Amino acid sequence: MPRHPDVPAYVPDIYSAQSILDPYPHYAELRQLGPVVWLPKHGVYALPRYAECKAVLLDDKTFTSGEGVGLNPVTNRLSRGTTLNSDGEDHAGRRALVAHRLTPRALRTMTEAVERQAAEIVDAALARRDVDGVDIAEALPTAVVPDLVGWPQEHRKNLLSWGAATFDVLGPLNGRAAAATLRGLGVMRFARGVVRRRSVLPGSMGDDLLGAADEGRIARSECPALMIDYLVPSLDTTLSAIASALHLFATHPGQWQLLKDDPGLIPNAVNEVVRYESPLRAFSRKVAKDTEVAGTALRAGSRVLVLYASANRDALEWEDPDTFDIRRDASRQLGFGRGTHGCAGQGLARLEIQSMLRALVARVEKIVPTGEPEWGLNNIIRRLQRLPLELVPA
Amino acid sequence: MRISVDHARCEGHGLCAGQAPDVFDLDDDAQVVYLFEGGTVPPEHLAAARAAVNVCPVAALRELQH
Ligand code: HEM
Ligand code: SF4
Repeated sequence: MPRHPDVPAYVPDIYSAQSILDPYPHYAELRQLGPVVWLPKHGVYALPRYAECKAVLLDDKTFTSGEGVGLNPVTNRLSRGTTLNSDGEDHAGRRALVAHRLTPRALRTMTEAVERQAAEIVDAALARRDVDGVDIAEALPTAVVPDLVGWPQEHRKNLLSWGAATFDVLGPLNGRAAAATLRGLGVMRFARGVVRRRSVLPGSMGDDLLGAADEGRIARSECPALMIDYLVPSLDTTLSAIASALHLFATHPGQWQLLKDDPGLIPNAVNEVVRYESPLRAFSRKVAKDTEVAGTALRAGSRVLVLYASANRDALEWEDPDTFDIRRDASRQLGFGRGTHGCAGQGLARLEIQSMLRALVARVEKIVPTGEPEWGLNNIIRRLQRLPLELVPA
Repeated sequence: MRISVDHARCEGHGLCAGQAPDVFDLDDDAQVVYLFEGGTVPPEHLAAARAAVNVCPVAALRELQH
């Protein structure tokens, strides 16, 4: 699809290894170029600013997900059947099923258990004192989510790697996506096996799904994709936010002190972490009918890239966007998306991240960086893969 | 200003009540309660109410144009 002659273009590959490790300068240039910027390498219109990202997310009739939210046609075809990749009635039905166990109300009964697990994780880390923050960040999501989804014990150690692969293949068809394809298919095969053998844990969300299929409310063939909906987006994302929180508080001791002095800031601190280091950088939408965004005409069939991570750093929306400050009201950040497809798991994610921060604030005096952090390479997820820290007990 | 609430959509994330506690509340089932149901938002709460509409993560709140 040729671009409109008036639309500025940005030639560098925002999915190169260099861009993934340091995306924000690229996003700043995109925002500078305009509200709609053509990316010739990927054949999409990038939306780098807050206002357009939000408007597009709220207009799900024009900007659709059913033909995929990734950047390569293969994955966009393969991932049909998930909540993420559907529109209208199909989406509403799946969303209701997937979301009802994830709402804050449904999670209330879990709160105590999650907080206890968070406390145990922090106690164990304090006993070691010198730690990799990524191990601490990984512990709670991998303890909580697989049980909730009802994933059988076998293959649990693969879940993180499968999750990362499933995200990688949503990027453009680059080397990273190609390398992840086999692992991405592995998770689908496993989910089908779990549904066929009914090997989900009793009382879990997966068990609920199979029950809904027994009652004829959904087709049995839909179950594997919905199981993946629960599992894949729920580990890496939350892990990313917890690791980024540790990193940001280690490098901003004044902010850590603010949090210790007033733990009431914790819920907003979660919003600010997700704003500042958005775990999910971008997803796309397909334009269903001729339309325009910020005065730029877009033809039906073209694709737009919603850059959550750039919208969250847009100076037109945020004062000092590149400053990490847990006192700013960050609740309108777009890191969980917005509208119809707004993250179904954000209640759970908030519960996990807040529990970790609460446990840390109560037990840790200072978080001290002890080495260079390393960011991982993934087409979709921004997350640390190494974070050397010393935890000084309170 | 009047606000419409899509109860089928609300998942009880509670961000609205955080922004505008005088306009929105959550009931025991964590469903949103619009405290001026059927009426208009008083002027002193307008800014907070708009902010609440703005943060609802699933867009269950809408400002009506009259
Ligand atoms: C910090 C953690 C998380 C972040 C930053 C995050 C981010 C997002 C974003 C940006 C979307 C919107 C996708 C779109 O616009 O197309 C989304 C959707 C979704 N997320 Fe999350 N997520 C997180 C945690 C979780 C968890 C813990 C779960 C599940 C247990 C989950 C399940 C989902 C599902 C099912 C969708 C699809 C919703 C739909 O299409 O209706 N997420 N997430
Ligand atoms: S913010 Fe939206 S989803 Fe959350 S309680 Fe209010 S209306 Fe419901």
